[in-house]
Amino acid sequence: MPAAQWLLHNDRPVIEIVLSGSVGQDLVRSVIADTGAGARREVFPLILDENDCLRYGGTLMGHVQLGGAYTGSFPVYAMNIRIPQLNFDEPVPVVGVSWIPPGFDGIAALKFLSRFHYGNFGHPDYFGLE
Amino acid sequence: MIVVSNNAVVSANELLARQINQEARQNPDSPYAGKFVGLANGQVVAVRDSLRAVLERLGQVEPDPSKCFCLDASADYDRVVEIRRVV
Repeated sequence: MPAAQWLLHNDRPVIEIVLSGSVGQDLVRSVIADTGAGARREVFPLILDENDCLRYGGTLMGHVQLGGAYTGSFPVYAMNIRIPQLNFDEPVPVVGVSWIPPGFDGIAALKFLSRFHYGNFGHPDYFGLE
Repeated sequence: MIVVSNNAVVSANELLARQINQEARQNPDSPYAGKFVGLANGQVVAVRDSLRAVLERLGQVEPDPSKCFCLDASADYDRVVEIRRVV
């Protein structure tokens, strides 16, 4: 069994991340695990609602050009991201967008997932990281 | 006292960031190449090996994140990244 696992959401893999910042309470965000989002060496590992980036004290890192589901130039923020089950607590670059796939709070791209071992670990209803 | 608007600070940070990014990508001997760089109020305030270290320094220098900027100096911010429509 992996160190962290989550039930699939609408039959799609999700992970839960925690945003923490100066606003006080932590915010848990459920993001779709999408190995098709970007390549392993992209500038950014996560995509979140830009309002979350701003509310949680993201520091601007520039802009990236996206194509496909998103088109145009989007801001990148340095955000503190935690996954408590994995003792993961690091600032990472996050793209801020105004539209997120319905039912989710963001997208974990391949660059983020590939920092871990990921998969269902023999449990078809779950997605896990270790 | 000189009051500088937030927009002016953001513009100054972005302009400097573009110059640093261009320099670091064109010249491997640049002091910024391979580093994370922190800017506050239009000035370089940190050149570090990790994003965490840069953010720690920025927090000491300028508590308002909207007046700060950090970049991965050698990253290619111009390339178009494809994101598939997932749902």
